[in-house]
Amino acid sequence: MPGPYPGQAVRVHSEKSIDAASGKVDRETVRQMLSAGIRALTGDARDDDAWARFISPKDVVGIKINCSGAPRIRSSPELVGAIADRLVAVGVPPAQIWIYERFQNQVVTVPYRDFVPQAVHIVAAESDRGSILGYDPKVYVETNFFGEEDTRSNLIRIVSETLTKIINVPNMKEHQASGVTGCLKNIAYGNFSNVARSHRNEKTNTYSFIGTLAAVEPVRSRVVLGVMDGLAGVWHAGPFSNNPRFRFYPKEIMIGTDPVAIDRQLIDIIEAKRKSEGAISIFNQSREILGDNRDPNKNAYIREPGHVEYASKLGLGVYDQAKIQVKRIEL
Amino acid sequence: MILLALAAALPGVFWDGAPDTAPALREAGIQRIFVPTAQAGAWKSVDGISAEAADLLKSIKLRPPAANYRYDEASASRVPWLDVNGWHFLRQPQGRYWYDVAGAKAPLAAAEAFAWGASAMVKPNAAGLKPLGEMLSFLAGIETPTMQPVADFGFIDDGTATAGEVMNLLVRHSLLFRAVRVPDPKLKLNVQLGTKKYPLEQAKNPGAMAQIIRADLTDDNRSVRIYGSAVVVGRLESAPGRLRVHLINYDASRKVNGMRVRVLGEYSKPRLAAAGSPDLALQDYAVLSGATEFTLPELKTYAVIDLLK
Repeated sequence: MPGPYPGQAVRVHSEKSIDAASGKVDRETVRQMLSAGIRALTGDARDDDAWARFISPKDVVGIKINCSGAPRIRSSPELVGAIADRLVAVGVPPAQIWIYERFQNQVVTVPYRDFVPQAVHIVAAESDRGSILGYDPKVYVETNFFGEEDTRSNLIRIVSETLTKIINVPNMKEHQASGVTGCLKNIAYGNFSNVARSHRNEKTNTYSFIGTLAAVEPVRSRVVLGVMDGLAGVWHAGPFSNNPRFRFYPKEIMIGTDPVAIDRQLIDIIEAKRKSEGAISIFNQSREILGDNRDPNKNAYIREPGHVEYASKLGLGVYDQAKIQVKRIEL
Repeated sequence: MILLALAAALPGVFWDGAPDTAPALREAGIQRIFVPTAQAGAWKSVDGISAEAADLLKSIKLRPPAANYRYDEASASRVPWLDVNGWHFLRQPQGRYWYDVAGAKAPLAAAEAFAWGASAMVKPNAAGLKPLGEMLSFLAGIETPTMQPVADFGFIDDGTATAGEVMNLLVRHSLLFRAVRVPDPKLKLNVQLGTKKYPLEQAKNPGAMAQIIRADLTDDNRSVRIYGSAVVVGRLESAPGRLRVHLINYDASRKVNGMRVRVLGEYSKPRLAAAGSPDLALQDYAVLSGATEFTLPELKTYAVIDLLK
């Protein structure tokens, strides 16, 4: 990261992609969106040529999904299946594809198995919540936020030991602590253990911790592509999706290699949606906003959407909107 | 002589049931009990059970060891409250203690007393008898060479409730100290409440005081660190060329699925004994510069890891 296309994001929208009333995703439309997006990003005419820029048949590829809002809001199995198909098409054996997340109890609520070849692995780091066995004891970030006894956050073991490339598939969501949760947070908090310790009471340390984790090797160099699933999203009380009132349907996917540039677009998307709903900005850091977040003008934490800009200072991508090239495609 | 010494190190079982409960004791593998003085005579004629009179009033009653999650209370932390009796043992090492515990807390109490080398009796209920017997059998199999407790700092214990509660919080965080009367210059740090550095006013929040002490000691200088569990407490003992790590899971209802342990010192040969997990092996064992780390894949109640140079 930020890869070969810094400061670029491709946004592909299709009204047919999802039926907001039922949540049913149109698989073929999603395939077309993915195809149009990757070709627009790379300039290649053929999908295989575009994917071959990032992935070779020898790679062991991780697809980092996001299931924190599952079962309703998650990396869509239709999109994940389409990505897996493209990997197979460029020669990656299905047994070298790993769909992964941190928490097994969330992953099992989504029918990924129905959308990928049987040999594709679908795994979670924590089959039992809180277990450290799925993490690499040798790769960790150690810091003490609030006097917690366990000061380490360890990298998922398959990331350090098995995968050679990672495709990051986050959702389009507001986040109570970090303001938004997109590419950066999915690859940071989604790849390391013991990260909830960074929040206590209204204070959250996501401002610097997200970028710090995302910049850890080998994460940084193995994440080669981001495909943000914005078919459905969450505009308040994220990353969960317990209240249907806070779901929305952007009906788009966003593709790029620069996680900062993509998340910078996400900030605008969430802010625009919140404004249309009459909700306060995610940048409002006054203590008056603290309270029961069933009210969209209240929140449990002082949000830290500045984490995206902070990550740019670590060299993870381009934050300045004036320097970001956004390509828009309508299908 | 050695056998006697081993037996003395084991916690005793206090049983106030009548002699007709002897079959339950035998089934649990318990052959030696302490009984109320009034019942001692009646137990004399029971085959296979050795009974000795004991007066609980002459012993200090301890809280049942436990992890309390307190889901019904708002808190600033998700870390559970642990009921750990280690500070009692450090304050009064020569004390005689007893526990009144039910079910799975009976073996936990026995493990706690054993780990701290305390003289204690465990009074189980019927449900706790079998697991207690299994734990005592496990403890009896652990060799008990002469070893010294490892302490990273001295805590000047003035015997007050305030000092006791700070000691309690230190033990819960596996911060290893020795209760001393006067500062010990051989230790990395000496803590005396009521001084400018450790004001009594701040000690009214014992958790915060424990953090101040931890910061002064620094995590790098701690002889043991436990990662991956908020319900496990560690204790160390040492002898030349040898370190013993005691690990106790205070959540008796649920095993811990993996924890990482770091100790100061380079030890190349580990030996693990884990109660209820006879085939368990350490994972990702690493001897680092000045430290040793390993992963214990599970911890039901209690494990002892001997590390040799």
